[in-house]
Amino acid sequence: MSAEKAYSVLGLFDTPDALMQAIPKVRAAKAGTVEAYTPYPIHGIDDALGLRRSPLGGMVLVMGVLGALTAFGFEYWISAIDYPIITGGKSPSSWEAFIPIMFEVTVLFATFTAGLGMLLLLNRLPFFGHPVLSSKSIKGITRDRFALAIEAEDESFDAAAAARILQDAGAVEVEVLPAPDRSPFLTSTYILRTLGGIFVACAVAGFGIYTLTKWFPVLRPMVNMQDQPRLNAQKASTFFKDGRGMQAPVKGTVARGYLPTATGTQDASATLVNPLPRTKEVFAVGRKAYLNRCEVCHGAVGNGVGSLTSAYGAKPANLQSQQFLDYPDGKMYWAIVNGKNAMPSHAADLTESQRWAVIHYVRALQRAQNAKDEDLKVVAP
Amino acid sequence: MSQPKASPLIYGAVALGAVGVIATYLAAGPQRFWANWVMWFVLVFTMGLGALFIAALEHLVNAKWSVPIRRIPERIATLLLPAIPIGLIALGALPVLYPGTRPEAAHHPILAGKAFWLSIPFFSVRTLIAFALVLVGLTVLVGGSLKQDTTRDPAFNIRARKFAPGFMAIFALVITVVAFDWVSGLTPEWYSDIFGVYIFAGAFLSGLAATALSVLYLQGQDRLSGVRGDHLYNLGGFLFAFTVFWSYIGFAQYMLMWYANMPDEVIYYKVRLAGMWRYITIALGSMHFILPFFVLVTRDAKQDPRRLRRVAFLMLAAHVLDIYWLIFPILGGKPLLGWPELSFALFFVGGILLWLRAAMEKGEDMPVGDPFLREGLEFRL
Repeated sequence: MSAEKAYSVLGLFDTPDALMQAIPKVRAAKAGTVEAYTPYPIHGIDDALGLRRSPLGGMVLVMGVLGALTAFGFEYWISAIDYPIITGGKSPSSWEAFIPIMFEVTVLFATFTAGLGMLLLLNRLPFFGHPVLSSKSIKGITRDRFALAIEAEDESFDAAAAARILQDAGAVEVEVLPAPDRSPFLTSTYILRTLGGIFVACAVAGFGIYTLTKWFPVLRPMVNMQDQPRLNAQKASTFFKDGRGMQAPVKGTVARGYLPTATGTQDASATLVNPLPRTKEVFAVGRKAYLNRCEVCHGAVGNGVGSLTSAYGAKPANLQSQQFLDYPDGKMYWAIVNGKNAMPSHAADLTESQRWAVIHYVRALQRAQNAKDEDLKVVAP
Repeated sequence: MSQPKASPLIYGAVALGAVGVIATYLAAGPQRFWANWVMWFVLVFTMGLGALFIAALEHLVNAKWSVPIRRIPERIATLLLPAIPIGLIALGALPVLYPGTRPEAAHHPILAGKAFWLSIPFFSVRTLIAFALVLVGLTVLVGGSLKQDTTRDPAFNIRARKFAPGFMAIFALVITVVAFDWVSGLTPEWYSDIFGVYIFAGAFLSGLAATALSVLYLQGQDRLSGVRGDHLYNLGGFLFAFTVFWSYIGFAQYMLMWYANMPDEVIYYKVRLAGMWRYITIALGSMHFILPFFVLVTRDAKQDPRRLRRVAFLMLAAHVLDIYWLIFPILGGKPLLGWPELSFALFFVGGILLWLRAAMEKGEDMPVGDPFLREGLEFRL
């Protein structure tokens, strides 16, 4: 027995068949954990080595179910408890809407568990180097030879006896791998030290920068767009007398197209003249505005049978009646701006030119119901 | 060879069922008779077509593992032969069950536009073309394979490999036409583009389940020596994958309609979520997805004959329930399940069993003329 401790003893075989035949003999000797290294996967070798079924499948199942439950719980909490909003007439707790996210999160949890669990937990990556990787046989193992290893389980491991067992089983070559002076795998101390080091480095850097900029205001890392010579909304400012950054518009400010017109009585407005020409474009504007704003009460042909009000027994003005056939344009304009009887003001809905276009359109509707003989004349284009 | 001791029982069941089938027409009315008949036509046809798809899939992807069991889906695919006369008889259901063929359809705003497509002559022509295409596939794939048993001519493999891609297009066309015409044609105001894929998922599952059951049945008679857990694992894996696929398609179809909430679309689900149908819908989701998913998720379940047999039976039952759930709501609010349905089940299940028992004697149990048989037998996971 050598004084040097051994990590494992490698026995090399020339063919996969020889390896497979040696496995039961070596396992029967019970000298240590039996492990195989081959250049490619060999059918049935996991059964021959008596390897336990990988726990990865179970881990993936558990995490997948957990992912589905997490997504469901989170979505339920968001949409039914914390901030319930009815969307599309559905109940806030509609499980149907949760399914796609649940599916995604299930896949996310499951794949991360499969990938990281396999690499980090089961294969214990990353590691500093495996004794087999620095063995003399590694070239052969990754090319055309098949190795069986008896790994030391405890202090009583006898490398010479293990080598004899392998030779008896038919190994053509035997190599004793010395134990590394420290574990090749990441220990929890190492992981804690690394993570702790990163944390301390971050804390020192952050606190250091904070202190430096506080004590030495000259030091200003990253001043990009930090100071801008403008006033922010809802913020105080010393520029104006009232100390506000936002100022109300000057009294009497008028938005474009919304000049206050027809401000007097209706009779006073009777003399107003429609400034718009009777063109196709103006009629198109008038038609659109009429259908949007007037049709629901006055009806599509202006006869007071609107698509909305007629169902409720209301009686809006019949624009086809004699009263409105004789109505001057200006009085109609005044009614649009100020509203009349039950009709509200439409000054905020229609610009000045839209109002006048609507009046042209109403005139066209009236003429369409009371056509004259000369309207039938074909007008040259 | 085992003794066909169960046969008298099956013959008795078929005879009893036949009496019930005729009595249904006389006593329960033509509507109920035709609904049952169309349902069993779709079931027999989809099982045969699903099995033919499995046989074609092997040639398409050049699979080796399935060569030893390929004869089984080929034998099940011969169910298409009785399915054709059953389908021809089912054409009698057109004036009774299918609203698109009635004279009122000419005045229906939606059906009038599709009047020619839904008319009895064109409907029948489409079905006949589908049957002819299926017969071509059956002759080339199954007939050629059976002939290879005696000729041992590898030219069949080359021919089948060239034919398989074209057959996949034919298959997609046939199953879509059958799904659209025979199943979704019952509710012609409702349409779903994915419906053909939905029926395909069910068809493939029922073909797979029948294949798995027949493989296990023949294994029980020691007629498939060399077929091991590794082959069963692949069958189980396919079953597992396609239960998920079926639910994916089914839920995708449901969710889009549920979200859009268009009256002409959701009515399909509204009917199936009202009253007793609600419980049948829940049972369908559990039987077709949740239960088989968790039963099949482990590796052992796919390799263990006993558990695989149970799941395969479950999938067949779920497929029957699926087609029942698609067809029977058109007969009115309550799910009908009485002596007419039981007699039809006796008649058709018994008939399918008799046909398959006879079909299991067709040709050799394995495609002995296939040059890849040895490679397939050596398949390891």
